[in-house]
Amino acid sequence: MANTEKNSYTLLFAVLMVVVVGSVLAGLFGSLNGQIKENQKKEKKQNILFAMGITKATISKNQDDADLPVDASEADKIFEEYVGDNQFIIEGIKATKTNKAFDIDVKKQGQLAKKDGYVRKLPLFIGSVNGKKSYVVPLYGKGLWDAIWGYVALEEDLKTVKGAFFDHKGETPGLGANIKEKFFYSDFKGESIYSGAEFKGITVAKGNNDPTNQRKDDNKVDAIAGATITGDGVTAMIKADIKMYVPYFETVKPN
Amino acid sequence: MEHLELFFKSIFIDNMVFATFLGMCSYLAVSKKVSTAVGLGAAVIFVMAITVPVNWLLDTYVLKEGALVWLGEEYASYDLSFLSFILFIATIATMVQLVEIVVEKFSPSLYNSLGIFLPLIAVNCAILGGSLFMQSREIPTLGMALNYGVSSGIGWFLAILAIAAIREKIRYSNVPAPLRGLGITFILTGLMAIGFMSFGGMLTGDEGNKKPVKEEVQAEAEELLDESKEMVLNTNK
Amino acid sequence: MAEVAEKQVKAKEPLFSKQNKGLMTDPLFDNNPITIQVLGICSALAITAQLKASIVMALAVTFVLAMGNVVISLMRNIIPSKIRIIVQLVVVATLVIIVDLVLKAFAYELSKQLSVFVGLIITNCIIMGRFEAFALGNGPWKSFLDGIGNAAGYGLILIIVGFFRELLGSGTLLGFPVLGNPIEKTGLYALGYENNGFMLLAPMALITVGIIIWIQRSRNKSLIEN
Repeated sequence: MANTEKNSYTLLFAVLMVVVVGSVLAGLFGSLNGQIKENQKKEKKQNILFAMGITKATISKNQDDADLPVDASEADKIFEEYVGDNQFIIEGIKATKTNKAFDIDVKKQGQLAKKDGYVRKLPLFIGSVNGKKSYVVPLYGKGLWDAIWGYVALEEDLKTVKGAFFDHKGETPGLGANIKEKFFYSDFKGESIYSGAEFKGITVAKGNNDPTNQRKDDNKVDAIAGATITGDGVTAMIKADIKMYVPYFETVKPN
Repeated sequence: MEHLELFFKSIFIDNMVFATFLGMCSYLAVSKKVSTAVGLGAAVIFVMAITVPVNWLLDTYVLKEGALVWLGEEYASYDLSFLSFILFIATIATMVQLVEIVVEKFSPSLYNSLGIFLPLIAVNCAILGGSLFMQSREIPTLGMALNYGVSSGIGWFLAILAIAAIREKIRYSNVPAPLRGLGITFILTGLMAIGFMSFGGMLTGDEGNKKPVKEEVQAEAEELLDESKEMVLNTNK
Repeated sequence: MAEVAEKQVKAKEPLFSKQNKGLMTDPLFDNNPITIQVLGICSALAITAQLKASIVMALAVTFVLAMGNVVISLMRNIIPSKIRIIVQLVVVATLVIIVDLVLKAFAYELSKQLSVFVGLIITNCIIMGRFEAFALGNGPWKSFLDGIGNAAGYGLILIIVGFFRELLGSGTLLGFPVLGNPIEKTGLYALGYENNGFMLLAPMALITVGIIIWIQRSRNKSLIEN
């Protein structure tokens, strides 16, 4: 057994460890990355469909499945059916129909937009359910610990929320993580993002005194107790991200 | 102004101990006496002031997607962020060990007072937490990262100093025997955390004037809105 | 040579000798990692607002701690003591990242449930604490038992705290309403009972753990500090 106290041994050990661990991880990541990306794409499709109100129940006709997303294995097919090529990239008020909209990384666009003169590419998905269009806008923001994101689907009037989906990277389980839960996201349904003619967003408000969410015109939903910062994050992300689409929406909005 | 806001926010509102409950283990274990608490607290400030900026550099120039672009355009698509845990931890442990060696060499007296705490710091999750928050909150510049490291360290220092002072005083109080020591410290920390929650009102209390999250983006959207109005006007002509 | 000698001793000792059983049962009560050793507090506070999260975290820590203890114990004679902390941290982080990547590729649904815990596990000082205190000085089988025992003791406290916080804070257990519906005022709520939202906040976890320590030390006087 070598003398484990010697400096040369320590150095050798450290170098070996870095090489071994690094190559194991890099190899594993390289071989699994394709599969992981594929899973993430399917999840994104599930989430967009979910925001539009296409759930597992739409396919299985079983009302018990109403709170579940469509099966991952069928996500590609169903997405093709309801959204398909109706994907747009919005730049200012210009909309370009392109399938590349799906691959746009909202987070990366946000970072690019910090540079001067960069016009942000905003993805928009238009699904049609029972002959009615719904406009799905992706959101990206920050919660208490880490990133939060979501999708908000708007009705044809481009004012009323049809459905919403939120997710997070690492919010506190039982508190901030509850933005994923039905009692939170279902409150958004029917809320208006406008107050009169002015864009207002939707505020996650404490002391809203409206736990069953009867008032749909107040631009407010009930906050989760103990998750103030996550709730503020949701408010900020809805306000900032949907607002970027407003110039375009103004041009296509029915009167 | 930005710096000042981050500074106070990290010390009081996002206090490592009372808001995020990181670094609890050494906080509870080494808070029996004020003098030792001061030593550990100072060491934490020092290590955070070094590791957060170093990890910021690592994150910005090595780990982030597209961070390797300075090596050449062909490296732009590399995303090494899955290595961040390991690299951050390695930086912290290396820094702690380096600090130990340097301090021992140049200031034996400081080493004697700090020495025993340095290994403890490597396992203090507040330190790793600081670097991970720096990454997830997308701290924009090196200066801000330094600020964040120092102020989070000060927040932790304040917390351990406060609890150590209370624990020294409480020795003369009649605490029920089974609660003595660890039990009462837990409860005290809980009460202090409730107290610290009121600092939350400093920046979030005013409903109409919420934190300027994504201010830039909003301003940009407003510009676009104006532009679009102009275009609509022009087409109407 | 030391290893050979150890093997001989081990051969005489049954797998579940009294001493080995002690390794598993001691950390449950008299040497509990949270209430006595003061390890792994951060995560105990962060995730116990819900019973389900507490159980998931307990299982994840059991896996990582048992595996990590075995790995460190196997490597204990070759790790240079100067950089042992780095080595320990790297071992945990690598284990957790490997599990996370594999789950993401092959069990995506499960990985979504667990991803929140990845960071919490790596920064959990119970893992480092057991590496340092036990695995560095003991054989793999004992280290494995020590890992299981300590994770169980940790999980026990997590589940107790999670139970009370979810019951009193949200009126549910594992997500099922057990006290009636607070909005429609049925069950207990019809009698004027209200959920204590305060229980959901992390400071109440501290106070709950404080009370557990109180009860534990009242029953076992030898644990009382002076």
